[in-house]
Amino acid sequence: MRRFLTPKSLIGLGIVVIMVTIAVAAPFVIPASFATRMQLAMRLQPPSAAHWFGTDQLGRDLFYRVMLGARTSLTIAGAAVGISVTFGLPLGIISGYFGGWTDIVLMRLVDTLLSFPALLLALTISAMLGPSVPNTIISIGVAFTPFLARIIRGEALRVAQMPYVEAAQATGTSGFAMIIRHVLPNVLPLVIVQGTISLAFAILAEAGLSFLGLGTQPPQSSWGLMIQTSRDFLDVAPWTALVPGAAVALTVLALNMFGDVLRDVLDPRAQR
Amino acid sequence: MSYILRRLLSIALTLVLISMITFGVTNILPGDVAMMVLGTQSNPTALAGLRQTLGLNDPLALQYWRWVVGMLTGHFGNSLMFKVPIGPLLLQKMTASALIVVMSMALALACAIPLGVWSAVHRNRWQDSTAASAALLGISLPDFFWGIVMILIFARTLGWLPSSGFTDPSVNFIAALQHALLPACALGLGLMAHLTRITRSTMTGILNQEFIRVARAKGLDERTVIWRYALANAIGPVMTVAGLQVGYLFGSIIVIESLFNYTGMGWVTYQALLNRDIPLIETSVFVIATVVMLVNFLVDLLYLAVDPRLRQSR
Amino acid sequence: MMAQLDLPPIIEVSNLRVAFETDGGPVVGVKDVSFSIRPGETLCVVGESGSGKSVTSLSLMRLVEFGGGRITHGRLAFTRSNGEVIDLAQTDARTMQAIRGNEIGMIFQEPMTSLNPVFTIGRQLEDGLQKHKRLSSEAARARALELLRQVRIPEPERRLRQYPHELSGGMRQRVVIAIAMACEPRLLIADEPTTALDVTIQAEILALIDRLKRENGMAVLFITHDMAVVAQMADRVVVMHRGEVVEAGPVADIFAAPTKDYTRALLAAVPKLGEMRGKLAPERMRVIGMEPVVAISAVAAEPPAQPLLSVRHLSTRFPVRGSLLRRTVAKVHAVEDVSFSLAKGQTLSLVGESGCGKSTCGRSILRLVEAEAGEIELDGWDIRTLSVVDLRRARRDMQMVFQDPYASLNPYRRLIDQVAEPLQNFGIASGSEITDRVAALFDRVELPRNFLRRYPHELSGGQRQRVAIARALAPSPKLIVADESVSALDVSVQAQVLNLLMELQADLGISFLFISHDMAVVERVSHQVAVMYLGRVVEIGPRAAVFEDPRHPYTRSLLSAVPIADPSQRRPREDQNFRPLSSPIFPVGHSPAPSLYDEVTPGHLVLAEF
Repeated sequence: MRRFLTPKSLIGLGIVVIMVTIAVAAPFVIPASFATRMQLAMRLQPPSAAHWFGTDQLGRDLFYRVMLGARTSLTIAGAAVGISVTFGLPLGIISGYFGGWTDIVLMRLVDTLLSFPALLLALTISAMLGPSVPNTIISIGVAFTPFLARIIRGEALRVAQMPYVEAAQATGTSGFAMIIRHVLPNVLPLVIVQGTISLAFAILAEAGLSFLGLGTQPPQSSWGLMIQTSRDFLDVAPWTALVPGAAVALTVLALNMFGDVLRDVLDPRAQR
Repeated sequence: MSYILRRLLSIALTLVLISMITFGVTNILPGDVAMMVLGTQSNPTALAGLRQTLGLNDPLALQYWRWVVGMLTGHFGNSLMFKVPIGPLLLQKMTASALIVVMSMALALACAIPLGVWSAVHRNRWQDSTAASAALLGISLPDFFWGIVMILIFARTLGWLPSSGFTDPSVNFIAALQHALLPACALGLGLMAHLTRITRSTMTGILNQEFIRVARAKGLDERTVIWRYALANAIGPVMTVAGLQVGYLFGSIIVIESLFNYTGMGWVTYQALLNRDIPLIETSVFVIATVVMLVNFLVDLLYLAVDPRLRQSR
Repeated sequence: MMAQLDLPPIIEVSNLRVAFETDGGPVVGVKDVSFSIRPGETLCVVGESGSGKSVTSLSLMRLVEFGGGRITHGRLAFTRSNGEVIDLAQTDARTMQAIRGNEIGMIFQEPMTSLNPVFTIGRQLEDGLQKHKRLSSEAARARALELLRQVRIPEPERRLRQYPHELSGGMRQRVVIAIAMACEPRLLIADEPTTALDVTIQAEILALIDRLKRENGMAVLFITHDMAVVAQMADRVVVMHRGEVVEAGPVADIFAAPTKDYTRALLAAVPKLGEMRGKLAPERMRVIGMEPVVAISAVAAEPPAQPLLSVRHLSTRFPVRGSLLRRTVAKVHAVEDVSFSLAKGQTLSLVGESGCGKSTCGRSILRLVEAEAGEIELDGWDIRTLSVVDLRRARRDMQMVFQDPYASLNPYRRLIDQVAEPLQNFGIASGSEITDRVAALFDRVELPRNFLRRYPHELSGGQRQRVAIARALAPSPKLIVADESVSALDVSVQAQVLNLLMELQADLGISFLFISHDMAVVERVSHQVAVMYLGRVVEIGPRAAVFEDPRHPYTRSLLSAVPIADPSQRRPREDQNFRPLSSPIFPVGHSPAPSLYDEVTPGHLVLAEF
């Protein structure tokens, strides 16, 4: 536990908690009119006392919009990682623990899927389904699944060969009980670590998808979408891109910091 | 050499799977190509006619077969939006993308390996924490964000490099490089950060190995111990990760090329996706996945060359 | 052979103190360590894990700095080849590099990881020579060849071009020794050089180090945890415990009349091969400070016992698969036509070196791996033909204790849950009864009850092994397979755990299949002994017959290779030549000859030559 309480993890965790709080609370605290009120007279204002982060091309306050965007970005990332863990965990454990032909077939499929760049896969699925928030979640979730399945499979394979699994087998434990009592608890630390890191990647993927117009659609606001709309005003109002960009960077950085420490503490492969 | 033969067979199998997945994703998911081409307001007879000419009424298996046979015989069909044959189009776009992908990989490796080694050697000291923090920041920023920052600095403010566009290297090599440099840097920064972290952790593991102690006990100087004994062992794992990152690069070029209006593979795929140009989407997704797979195969062969243990077991 | 006592010492360590920088502040690794070594003398530093013996050796090379350590106090006076005496603790990095590998050579514990996997053997031998002796590459190559001959490696020309993974463990350790000897150092430091090796290879390496010492008049600093090796190698001994020197002196004095309690306890716990001569039954280990020094007979002379377990013609083979279609391309014959029987309440030991198939044999009996042929009968169960359901029931009667106490317990489950697992699986107990029974089991293996709700990482190695024993005892089995169950433990803990096993046998009438590589321990605990080599039992019989009248050449070479923890019984030091081990891998369909035995005396069988 002490190894876990480093400044790095505490700062990371602190920022993540703040971001999640903003995502949950922002819509209740900020009156909807604040963020959607268009004041054409106030278009593309630089940061000031009235508008801390400036305004966008429609005169909307960027401070409020970036806080509201947190909700969309974090929801999409969280739900997408949820999907990939839901599919990747059983796939990986079945493949790694039972082995044999199941493993060969599943991993051949997973390896092939890994040849498709995750962002390309997500973009294609999203374009085919039609861009929307639920479809963005599905496409990122599906695109990340093979990666998680691969990593979990490796870990399940390692755990399956541990003497304590053989010892449990000798004491009459088998099948489902073996997975629940011995394999799952020992795979879980790695899932937590990879889940955290995947969360960071999912935020980046959402930003990328929305930036290309194949993710979140207006009038909803997400960080990626804000950067996309800012592209036409880069020369006159760079802050319209820098503010949401910084929000993405800060959140992803915090998740990575937290994930690094989690890995040092939890990942059996990182321990010497 | 039976290993290479077996790998070639496995590549053939993977290609079949790639084509199936590509076809599945683009065809099984809902969406009517004819309607995409003609728009939702078009008249039913025109739609039916187009469906007939595109063969959309045939069973999926037959459509798949036609597509695969077409590719095997070099007939990739025509792009619906560009109205040109897909084969030559993608060949030209792939060359354009290869330029920035190779440049960014070279930049990333050239910086990441020395930086990662340096960081591992000074583990847990200020040199390490500085490099580690920079790398952490590097992997946390979206690459299009780097792109925007670079456009603001180098194109808009300083005016050193063009902010968008593409020039064919065979027409004007200098101009081509100028157009490729910013996108390549935007791609390479995140990659460099990632590879620095990998090099650092790989080297840290190797420097704790017994054979490093033996090398020091032989009286070899630190330079030899680190840059020869240790690094020779790190190259393989780092190359493997770099190979896997080629996949990541081919995802990122979609964003970066459309940001810089660099008309390569990523740009053309993006245009196809936006305009639902199904034949072009199918083929470009297939080509990208194939290229990524082949690059990883080459990296595996390279690993074989640097690690004698693998050479024997295979 | 004798140390040249008239010469000044090559190295004189006084009041060495080494500290390590950790997150929780500086920790002292060793303190106030002093000793000296003269030319031609071997000094053994002996101690259990955590005694600071390795830190001491790394400090002499100043390699301890690369592991975060710092010499904070003391003098390391080293006489260089030109007669100059320098303090290694104060020497600058450049001079240190010129001394390392040149005037001081070092051998490490793990031959499998001591060589750089991506460079050839030749390159790794030559680069030190080129650096220190400024040899041309041809001269360095010639010297490398000469060195490989000196350490008796067969086909030295070919080895120079090979990579480490192409060599066996014993050969790699010879290469590491050749590297250390390359520049004819004045001091050789050997840090547990034989711990990872089999006993016959250990004997070869020990003889080699001894010969090189005699030929070159080096001083040798030999670090080990094994008192038997100390007895065989040392001129003088330094006993270390928790970073401090407990006792030092000539080897004969230390073994004959140890003055400190720690040394006495350490020596008492070490079984000496041959000390059971003429005794009928196994005897408890001596543990000073816990039980009376006098050994008590744990098991009375054997009554005519009927067999509990009988194994007939057991063969286990593992497929070697091709990578594409997973065809079986060859088979590893791990266990080949093995037969034996084990009586109720007795111990049968399977001994042999790594890879001989003894572990696979034990696992096959429990059906943790599936055998290919043969019969296994345990108390009326025909194990090999049991259905999955019946096998589960049969496993109540047979349990296993594994080698590694750190890996055989699930790190994420409380101890009570792990020991209770068999009780739940076999429906032996439920509800609060479980807690009572597990608590009783903890009492039985002498673990405090407040450990029940702890996790494995809170326990020491010996305590964990007691938990593993409790788990094996839980379903009240008739047979326990103990697979190298004490090998990973320090000697004093090993003795306690062995005593526990023998008590359990005396009280509960459990039969043990004791799998081990340690001949001295086997001699102490067994009723019957089976010696395994390349998958087959080459000799089997009552313990006294096998140990006192060994007939098979392999048994003899094994017994003669075991170091005896008594300096007055030194093994002859003739150099032993390298014996390659034949491969147990055969093509599919290969059917080896059956194992045929000659009966020397009733029950003492020796594999006939074939």
